[in-house]
Amino acid sequence: MRALGKAASDDDRLLVERVRKGDQDALRTLYERYFDRIYNYVYARLGRAEEAEDLATDTMTKSLTRLDLFRDEGVPFSSWVYRIAHNATIDHYRRHGKVALVSLEHAPPSASDDPSDLAVEQLSNEDLHAAIRDLTDEQQQVLILRFFQDLTANQVAGIMGKSVGAVQALQHRALGSLERALQGRAAS
Amino acid sequence: MTPEVQRLERLAERLRTVDPFVAPPGAKIRGWNLVLAAVEQSTAARSRAHPVRRLLIGVVVAMVLLVAGALAASADSVPDSPIYPLKGVLESARGAVTFSAADKLAYHLDLARTRLTEAEAMISRHRVDLAGTSLKAFDDQLKSAALLVQTERQVNAPAAARLQDRLRLAVATADQQLADLQGQVQTSAAAGAIIQARQQAADALKIAEAPAAQASPTSSP
Repeated sequence: MRALGKAASDDDRLLVERVRKGDQDALRTLYERYFDRIYNYVYARLGRAEEAEDLATDTMTKSLTRLDLFRDEGVPFSSWVYRIAHNATIDHYRRHGKVALVSLEHAPPSASDDPSDLAVEQLSNEDLHAAIRDLTDEQQQVLILRFFQDLTANQVAGIMGKSVGAVQALQHRALGSLERALQGRAAS
Repeated sequence: MTPEVQRLERLAERLRTVDPFVAPPGAKIRGWNLVLAAVEQSTAARSRAHPVRRLLIGVVVAMVLLVAGALAASADSVPDSPIYPLKGVLESARGAVTFSAADKLAYHLDLARTRLTEAEAMISRHRVDLAGTSLKAFDDQLKSAALLVQTERQVNAPAAARLQDRLRLAVATADQQLADLQGQVQTSAAAGAIIQARQQAADALKIAEAPAAQASPTSSP
């Protein structure tokens, strides 16, 4: 059951303008609209609830107190918020250290298994989350945004600063890497 | 669709069914309180900065108005005024954007009239020294106008003739004005300065009427 609503609605711009004029109701609306999404995004990246709460709060604080830095020139507010969340995640990794990941993109398939044997329907959510966190930063980002956040390739392209074609290619490679990561986990 | 693509599609579909991580209600409330406090603090900091910004803008506007006012006032200033030097700056700026011979002649004749008016004002205030300076500047402007006429004659004789007529009229008018002034002054120094100015004006007219070879090569702007 998906609970997250669609982001990047057209009235974000109006809400941002109202917040700039000191409207607290608009502030609350933007917070309600994005906090869960950002929490979900950060949790998927880090896998730890407390840190996800802290980073989501930091992201929303930065987003809503520094609206003077947000210029609505073709970049939606939602993309801006996701970029702040992404940067906060990267900063968190830098501060706390993260095991360097080896891209699974060109990794050979597991010797024991045929990829077709992978029963995706039977995979647990925990397995999927854990396998995603084995991927590279960009691969994680594209899978989380596309499939956990229900964003379109166009929206993801805006957030990641890539073309739609590049996002689609990255998504394809990320799914392949995820498949290999899941096979590796199943074999071990 | 290849088997690989089919597998990846199934995997993508599976990812779409993963339940989202939902923040505990307490986390969301805590987050809201922190965001609200930060926004209020940020707003307060900005409003504290506003008076300083307003003050700076006020100072800049006041300075601009002061300079603009001084420039405007200097247009009517006379040589014993503290803002008189600004008048020279404005006149030089105006001279820098006159290009045609007719415009340049009008510029010199206008400045000559202005210097003459200033000389009258200084004589009425018994500042003969400053009146003499103004009369000298008056003659310099007429001489510049005369040299301009002469230069134009080498290029366009009919146009030079029209310029010469204007100069002749201006000198005649100024001479009448100087003659009236000469009758009013009571000191020999002032009278001497006026007589000299009238002579210089007449000489300027001769320069304008003379062929180029006989003209004085010197010029003052």
